[in-house]
Amino acid sequence: MRKWFKSLTAVALALSLIGGATSAASAASTLKGSIVINGSSALLPLTLQASSEFKKLNPKVKISASAAGSITGPQAVRKGIADIGAVDWDASIDVPGFKKFDGQVANPVAVTVFAAIVHKDVKVNSLTTKQLQDIFSGKITNWKDVGGADEDIVVVNRKFGSGTRVNFQMKALSGTEFMSKGDNYKEVGSSGDMKTTIETTPNSIGYIDLPYVTTKMKALSINGVAPTEKNVLNGTYKVWGIGYFMTKGKPTGATKAFIEYIQSNTFQNGSLKKLKFIPLASVKNLK
Amino acid sequence: MNGSMNGSTNEALRSEAPYSFGKRNGSSAVFDKIFTAVVWGIGILVILFICGLLFMLLKNGLPKLTWSFLYSIPSEIEEGGGIGPALFNSFYLLAISLVISIPIGLAAGIYLAEFAPDNKLIGFVRICVEGLSSVPSIIFGLFGIALFVEMFQIGLTILGGAISLAFLNLPMLTRITEESIRSVPVEMKNASFALGSTHLQTIRKVLVPVALSGLVTGICLTAGRAFGESAVIILTAGVTTSGVMWDFNLFSPGETLAVHLWYVQSEAIVPDAGEIAQKATSVLIFIVLLINLVFRVPLWLNARKTRS
Amino acid sequence: MIEMNSTAQNAPAELGNSIRTGSGPSFDRRTRLRWANSAFRIACIAAAGFVCLVLFGILFLMFRTGILTFQEVGFAEFFFSTDWDPENGHYGALLFIYGTIALTALTLIISVPFSVLIAVFLAEMTPKWLRNTLRPVLDLLVGIPSVVYGYLGLTVLIPWLRDLTGKPLADGLLAAAIVLTIMVLPTISRVSDDAITAVPKKYRDASYALGSNRFQTIFRVVLPASSRGIVYAVILGMARAIGETMAVVMVIGNTAQIADSLFKPTAVLTSNIVMQISSVEFDSTWNYALYMMGFLLLVISLLMIVAVRFLQKKGASE
Repeated sequence: MRKWFKSLTAVALALSLIGGATSAASAASTLKGSIVINGSSALLPLTLQASSEFKKLNPKVKISASAAGSITGPQAVRKGIADIGAVDWDASIDVPGFKKFDGQVANPVAVTVFAAIVHKDVKVNSLTTKQLQDIFSGKITNWKDVGGADEDIVVVNRKFGSGTRVNFQMKALSGTEFMSKGDNYKEVGSSGDMKTTIETTPNSIGYIDLPYVTTKMKALSINGVAPTEKNVLNGTYKVWGIGYFMTKGKPTGATKAFIEYIQSNTFQNGSLKKLKFIPLASVKNLK
Repeated sequence: MNGSMNGSTNEALRSEAPYSFGKRNGSSAVFDKIFTAVVWGIGILVILFICGLLFMLLKNGLPKLTWSFLYSIPSEIEEGGGIGPALFNSFYLLAISLVISIPIGLAAGIYLAEFAPDNKLIGFVRICVEGLSSVPSIIFGLFGIALFVEMFQIGLTILGGAISLAFLNLPMLTRITEESIRSVPVEMKNASFALGSTHLQTIRKVLVPVALSGLVTGICLTAGRAFGESAVIILTAGVTTSGVMWDFNLFSPGETLAVHLWYVQSEAIVPDAGEIAQKATSVLIFIVLLINLVFRVPLWLNARKTRS
Repeated sequence: MIEMNSTAQNAPAELGNSIRTGSGPSFDRRTRLRWANSAFRIACIAAAGFVCLVLFGILFLMFRTGILTFQEVGFAEFFFSTDWDPENGHYGALLFIYGTIALTALTLIISVPFSVLIAVFLAEMTPKWLRNTLRPVLDLLVGIPSVVYGYLGLTVLIPWLRDLTGKPLADGLLAAAIVLTIMVLPTISRVSDDAITAVPKKYRDASYALGSNRFQTIFRVVLPASSRGIVYAVILGMARAIGETMAVVMVIGNTAQIADSLFKPTAVLTSNIVMQISSVEFDSTWNYALYMMGFLLLVISLLMIVAVRFLQKKGASE
């Protein structure tokens, strides 16, 4: 059955290649292959943009991407069902909640900045690390304790396994555990849900990747430092992380070319910047 | 004595009968009126509610809808990206999954309604099929991954997505078919047999045409659900398209419109994400309407045929 | 009766035609018919077999992975503890089971009376033109992706509930039940509508001839006669309510605590599965527990189906 299916695949691939060759005969690249990408949904806009640009340069490479959650990436790579596992943290070392993946290489692709955000009517503009820790662990439950109005704090958290959550916990809360119960506590599944929830819920606090911050919410300064690209580059704002493409061993063939394309200056200073990620090169010295 | 008895009964009849008749009639007539009013009230309420809902969904997207939005390629950075390949994939994937699931679903439903022995095992299978429609679609997605990505190793493809989607639709389609066939009055079946038709002829010429309304509802419901399904497709067909229009390759990645909507709503960074979501929603609603109309055509034809 | 005759006459007339126009000697025709009959029968059996295969494939997948949970977690803990904290090794699934049953019950309590009345309205009371516009519109509502319903719930329903109750966060069972009601209402009312329409007209004629009015006819004759189909519609709606994920996830709050109020953020089996299954390691007890919960979901819906069928039988024998 499996064999039969594989040969069918081969025939279909051959057919599609013949079709592709006639339509894109002018393209210079002869690179062939197929790349399957799985993992983090926060890196998906980047992956999609890079793959559509890469496919224009290399029409014979087939790229398909899916996204379920950061941890799916390296796991899919380990199982051999994906060539690239996109993940929001370095999965070749241990992080809170997740063990490292042996035999996988972490290829850095982009820098993302995370911001603590509140509903636009919240009076507070800045919180210290200690205050953030107490709010997200449920010790402080009223805005008046941190200099705001006398209102209950609604804590909105990302689901377990979210790359944003792992990074925020490590960098903004110094590893403090999140609360997990309470009348005014909810978890959301995606950046979009986080955005909508914070925009529509008065007195709410959450955290999100910087590109998603809109005018309908307020990004908080942490320890007095505002979450801006400038503050990341000058080293004062610490809550940022690197997105990685995990591969089984060193990448080869089309996969290697694709990762190299994403790491290239053209992409890093072009589309990647437009997507509001920060190029790798500019923060290299801060590490 | 007799006379007086007669007289009194007569009198009683004369005085009571219209009264009691009227009384009974009165209370039930009041009930009837209340009931009619309640049903009409709820009916109008729900119609208003549906109109409000559709208005809410369409008001922001519909006025901004342009033709180029329907066929241009999605964009990650600049505003003005379209939904072309996703829209095409939606139709393509739906068509494949229906081509697989309708014959199997109908045949299995006919088996359960007509051929299956009436024993405990079949009863158990029937309940299992019903229960299966409550399994969250993400489990079907995981099943699809286990089957197509791990076992057959074809990666994230339109074919894998379509077959997984067909699996998701099968239980509902099977049971709706069975129920519709069963609701055909037994006299019709008997009349057909009495005229010497075989079982197949009876099914083809009597049961299916009579049950057609129910079958069409079933197919519309499953097709609509399949069109709006995202979890299965994300896992088995991916969140990418091949980036070109009219790609009939079964092994291309197959992002559908519903998946694109999910993506735009949950992760996209593009500045006009909200607008794209609204426009995509209006397109989706229109297409589901279209699907309903297309599937209703055989119903109208059938109605015309049986009327003449 | 008159209605019956007219339709019954049509079918045989067609049959007669097909026989009359059939070519070849009668023996040929008979073998051909017999062959077609058995081929069709075999095809049907094969299709049913295939459906069962898929069914048991999925059951097997869930059970095989799910049963591994009990290598590390006791039965009693999984089923009777409400402490779900997998990061620290606590796998109590009772709160999700409770949430699922409570949410489904609440949804059915709101949606069934509404849906059946809508079905009656559609099948018995509306003028034809209204019926012909309303039916496709209801079908349309089924096709709207659940993310859209969830988004509306998050942006319209929850702020509204929040204003109404004064709670800081209105996510919870009631919000989820209302969203689910909107989602299952078209399914239940359309399938019941078909069931009611399928009741032969002679029943109604007989009832009206006996002097009943519309209310009596509908409640004493039409609804009992179509009860099988209506119960099936309810089961379909219920199954969808139990299994719905994407919309529920957006409005229920996803907090692993038992809901002692309609407005307390909580979680149900499906929402917990969909939130966590792609975020945990494949070969971990946590992952196994999620598959076990998927299996459990199926068991719960089977039990509920059996319960509804039992109630129907009891109602029918009374």
